Amino acid sequence: MTTTRRNLFKFVGGGAAGALLTPAPWRLITDAALWSENWPGIPRPARGEIRARFTHCTLCPAGCAVRARCVNGQPVSLAGVKPHPIGHGALCPWGIAGHHLPYHPARVRQGPVKEAVAAVARAIAQRGAGERVAVLDLRPGRTVSWTYRRAMAAIENGLYLTPGQPAYSIDLAAAKTVVSFGAPLLDGWGTPGNVFAARDHFRLIQIEPVETRTAALADMWLPIRPGTESVLAAALAGETTIAEAARVTGVEEEAVGAVQEAAQSGSAVVLAADPGSPLMSLNAKFGALGRTVVARRESPLPDAWKKAAPVAEMAAAPDGAIRVLLIDESLPGGYVPWSTIEPKLAANAIVVVFSSTSEGYARHAQYVLPAPVYPEAAEDIGPAIDTVAEVFRIAAPLVAPVVPVVKPGEFVAQMAGLPQGDPLRERADAIHKTGRGALLSYADGKSTPAKEVTADDFWKTLNQSGCWMDETGKKAAPSGLGRSVTRLTSHDELPLAVVVAEFNRGGLASPLMSKLERESNLRMAANRVVLSPADARANGIESGGRCLLETACGRMNVVATIDAGVPSGVVEVAGGPRMADLCGASRRARVVRA
Amino acid sequence: MSIDIDKCNGCGACMVACAVENNIPPAPEAANDRKGITWIRVYKVDNHRAYPERRTAFVPVLCQQCGHDTPCAHVCPQQAVDVDPATGIVGQMPERCLGCRYCMVACPYHARYFNWWDPKWPAGMEKTLNPDVAPRMRGVVEKCNFCHGRWHAAQQKAAAAGKREIDAADYVPACVEACPTGALRFGDLNDASTEVAHDAQRPESFRLLEKLGTEPKIHYRSQRDWVREIASAPRPEGKDGLRG
Amino acid sequence: MIRGKIAFASGMLVALAGGWLAFPRILYQTRLQPVDFSHKVHAEKAGAKCEDCHSFRDDGTYAGIPTLDKCSGCHAAAMGTTAAEKTFIDQYVTPNREPQWLSYARQPENVYFSHVSHVKLGQVKCERCHGNEGGTGALRPYQQDPISGYSRDIWGRPVNRIGLRTEGGMKMDDCVNCHRRQGLEYSCMGCHK
Repeated sequence: MTTTRRNLFKFVGGGAAGALLTPAPWRLITDAALWSENWPGIPRPARGEIRARFTHCTLCPAGCAVRARCVNGQPVSLAGVKPHPIGHGALCPWGIAGHHLPYHPARVRQGPVKEAVAAVARAIAQRGAGERVAVLDLRPGRTVSWTYRRAMAAIENGLYLTPGQPAYSIDLAAAKTVVSFGAPLLDGWGTPGNVFAARDHFRLIQIEPVETRTAALADMWLPIRPGTESVLAAALAGETTIAEAARVTGVEEEAVGAVQEAAQSGSAVVLAADPGSPLMSLNAKFGALGRTVVARRESPLPDAWKKAAPVAEMAAAPDGAIRVLLIDESLPGGYVPWSTIEPKLAANAIVVVFSSTSEGYARHAQYVLPAPVYPEAAEDIGPAIDTVAEVFRIAAPLVAPVVPVVKPGEFVAQMAGLPQGDPLRERADAIHKTGRGALLSYADGKSTPAKEVTADDFWKTLNQSGCWMDETGKKAAPSGLGRSVTRLTSHDELPLAVVVAEFNRGGLASPLMSKLERESNLRMAANRVVLSPADARANGIESGGRCLLETACGRMNVVATIDAGVPSGVVEVAGGPRMADLCGASRRARVVRA
Repeated sequence: MSIDIDKCNGCGACMVACAVENNIPPAPEAANDRKGITWIRVYKVDNHRAYPERRTAFVPVLCQQCGHDTPCAHVCPQQAVDVDPATGIVGQMPERCLGCRYCMVACPYHARYFNWWDPKWPAGMEKTLNPDVAPRMRGVVEKCNFCHGRWHAAQQKAAAAGKREIDAADYVPACVEACPTGALRFGDLNDASTEVAHDAQRPESFRLLEKLGTEPKIHYRSQRDWVREIASAPRPEGKDGLRG
Repeated sequence: MIRGKIAFASGMLVALAGGWLAFPRILYQTRLQPVDFSHKVHAEKAGAKCEDCHSFRDDGTYAGIPTLDKCSGCHAAAMGTTAAEKTFIDQYVTPNREPQWLSYARQPENVYFSHVSHVKLGQVKCERCHGNEGGTGALRPYQQDPISGYSRDIWGRPVNRIGLRTEGGMKMDDCVNCHRRQGLEYSCMGCHK
């Protein structure tokens, strides 16, 4: 007999039947399932020793104390430090994910450093008479700010410029009534922990055209016509009648009266969206100076630093005089609209910006040099708008810079020929020498008088887990309140008033912010605007539709949302450098379909 | 957990802290608010009036950890949902899930999220992942589990000291720790001395969709009448004939 | 016809032999540990106990296989005369490179196992689950299932798991069986993360 095909099939069949009686196929099925679970590309978190490290957040002037949970030294999550007399253990959404910033995909990773150094040196040497070298410090009040001031004093015709840093602080704990003209007190103002710790002790009256987060939680919200704040302020000051103010602003007379009464009842403070706004001078009328509005106190300095250039506001600089402009945009801070800066530049000016984002001045500068991001570089935090005590807080680095960076302070110091040194250490030593104040250690919550600690231990604690505070000292009245030079031009032919409803500091934010901007509609993304149904209809705009936001300074592609909660005649925008360039000099716009 | 809606300012710190703690990736290009993963999501609600009578409130919604007839546990064909008898926490097992999304349909609070895509972090950012939580691959459902990684860590700490009961101060979910206004509070509802137990008893306290009988463990409170009205989900006008 | 039956039977026999005899042999691939480490030498000559290198940290987490700094603490210079130690110092200590140890008990990422709960509260001895590693003169070869990527210790030595005592494997069933035997309450999230 021959072996037939049927025999072959029987053989195979027997093999199959036999195989099923062995562990092989069952094991292979299980293994296939396990293999499918170990999908390549799903990262496995690194394991290791878990320790807490401390630093301060540099993403805004509040400088909240941060406890970082670190695995093998790498921060994996951040939290506030409880208890803390300033920050009260709170962090904001940007601070919570700040440890992601070094790895941000949109980060500026390289720049023409050598060329910039050469170009700056050349320009300084070849300047004409009267041509200035200027440093624009967007986060004044730091120790590096003093480096810039010393550098500009060392260079001939050096100018130290800021966006306009008012020299006052707000003592919220002493306030019983807060009258806020659009200041985002409960979402992006001062130190969040400090504001919420004091919240139950003051009555908040929010005066602004749209219902922002702060207005939603305020005790009273006055929906005012945009641009009429000064009339309401005049009524509160008694310079015009309540009836007149009600007519112009659209706020009811009773409400205006109630605000006036509350403000005059003592322990009131008036705040404004722009800290330098003339509205701040209302505080003098309500006896707030020296009580709830006090002179800002800076921590002690080395005597050698007293020879420093004065602080000047960008808007006050002479036109066409700046030959070299260095902009420190390394920390998110104030933003001066480019239309304010451009006229100050000379014809062949060199603009160098130190930044980690390409969204800000990188759009306008010739040389963009990569700056360190939080938490890569040692920095110190200047006083915030609601810091009353003298403080010195060092933001110690938690990771080494991930890309080759240029430290702006070192660049400028070298350019000006300042002696090398560690300014933070020099300042810490100067503070320690005064013998004042106390060292607060975060690891154990203990406070030790500074004079009981050696200079080395003082420096060590400041860098590893603590801060210096001096809460003694009388509160003084501030000077120069409400004398900002920023001028707004009016363009009444544009139909809509621009109101910034979403506070956006600019700078990099963790990719996880998509949770708030895209994966939910909690916060407005930078390219979102909100219109009333009437205005949307008038311009043929649909919800979610692409539009153009046009102002006297330019235009921007945006996406529109329609909301009946927005008054007609107003377009709500999110802040940020692009928006500041568009709407900084004039708050009027038009929105058309794209 | 208890949530004070009158304190929530909609900042979103809880949402970001949750994503950091639980290794939730940032949204891919195609994601929107229907396809994103936000184990805790703060909704903006309003009183349905136009300007200037508009009033807004912010309501954080996360898995309500239903205590009675837990809908998701009921419907899962894989038994990937487990109600822990000791803590009352409803645990979701992504490794067991086959991605049918029946639980997402069953959940009345829309608190469950599906991984439409594999998680992808920008280069280098995977160094910041939390080792106490396993990242999930695409095709499975996930949801809030009251930061179980932190519960494990609290248990380890107690065990190291020879104790079987955890110290309540050691177990704080990421959202509660992150909330800057103090709107979120966490604790043992069965322990009458805790703040959450007191909050649950307040007259202005309510729970979402109580009429469904799911016995959720998140107690919200607000002094504002219109907020409480919205949370009880009244029947839309003109639809009285509907069941349920 | 008988041919047919023979064909069937011989097919079955081949499959059975293959599945029961050959399959277990070819399933696992053997890999060597990066360093030829001897537990016995360290236990006897250095007087080390398990906890000296495999220790608990203050927060209760387990250090697991020690990192290089633990070894460098003693082996900054050669302490003996073996070639294995010399190789170790040249290749790992001097260039400060972490040895990529192959962990016999590595579990999937979604498993949470608390050593301190078992050792301190449960009074379980190391040898019960890991065997007498401490008394071995050389590390056992690491056998890995190339498809699933897990070590043979997880599944257990016998491929069909027949006759396997509970502590001989580290699959979920083994954990659950032991917990049941001890009468312990357990929930999914107690062991998963």
